[in-house]
Amino acid sequence: MSTKIDLGRVYRPSEDVVVREIEGEIVIVPLVAGIGDLEDELFTLNETGRAIWSRIDGRRTLAAVVRELADEYDAADGIIQEDVAGLLQELLDRRMIVERG
Amino acid sequence: MTEAPRVRAAAGGLALSGESLAGLMGAVLEKGGSFRFVARGESMHPAIRDGDVVTVVPPGGRPPRTGDIVAFVHPETGGVRVHRIVGVDGGRYVLKGDNALGADPAVGRDRILGFVAGLERAGRRRPLGPAFLAAALARLSRSAWFTRLARRLRRTFSRPKGRS
Repeated sequence: MSTKIDLGRVYRPSEDVVVREIEGEIVIVPLVAGIGDLEDELFTLNETGRAIWSRIDGRRTLAAVVRELADEYDAADGIIQEDVAGLLQELLDRRMIVERG
Repeated sequence: MTEAPRVRAAAGGLALSGESLAGLMGAVLEKGGSFRFVARGESMHPAIRDGDVVTVVPPGGRPPRTGDIVAFVHPETGGVRVHRIVGVDGGRYVLKGDNALGADPAVGRDRILGFVAGLERAGRRRPLGPAFLAAALARLSRSAWFTRLARRLRRTFSRPKGRS
């Protein structure tokens, strides 16, 4: 399944999360967590997620993120774009990132 | 990329302890968020038991008072403890676990991260009790004989394990 993203857009971490790197893990705590169980309140990213997250910095366009990752992982842009789009949607759904204004 | 990027819920799968937990909790509370975590140990038994989920909220403008249960950074270990304020001595807070025989080293206001505002046990919310009782308990708790007596009473009247 192909997911389209606007490669010209720039995203940054939301003000409503606290992000800390702890023992090699990126830990994300949403400040506006749903009133649910503990599983809604503390998140980490897997290795590829970390590679993308570290580039969502409010400066790079998504095109630049895809290009850098394609170089680093020696993979086709299309595959990387799929991965970036998937994570981007998840992060947006969880309100962990916002588009740069 | 070898694995599809994922956001993972970390509850139960991430061992946060010591300074890591203190840093994370401090950052969340500083930004006005509340922090929920699973309490470990029996030092606050029976008010807080091992495995209870504790919600800590930022202090806001309210000064800590005797009787408050607070999360603080232990001056010797750098880790987070959740204990009760049992007194104020020269502007420093004397903290102690309700079930501990001795007090912690006194700490300054800057080491108190936030107040315990909520408690859940086995998925159900538990009341923290009225403030006047908390203050009375704090004063009694300063004495080791009271803690020993409370422990003995609990042992005497607790239900034997294995019986329903």
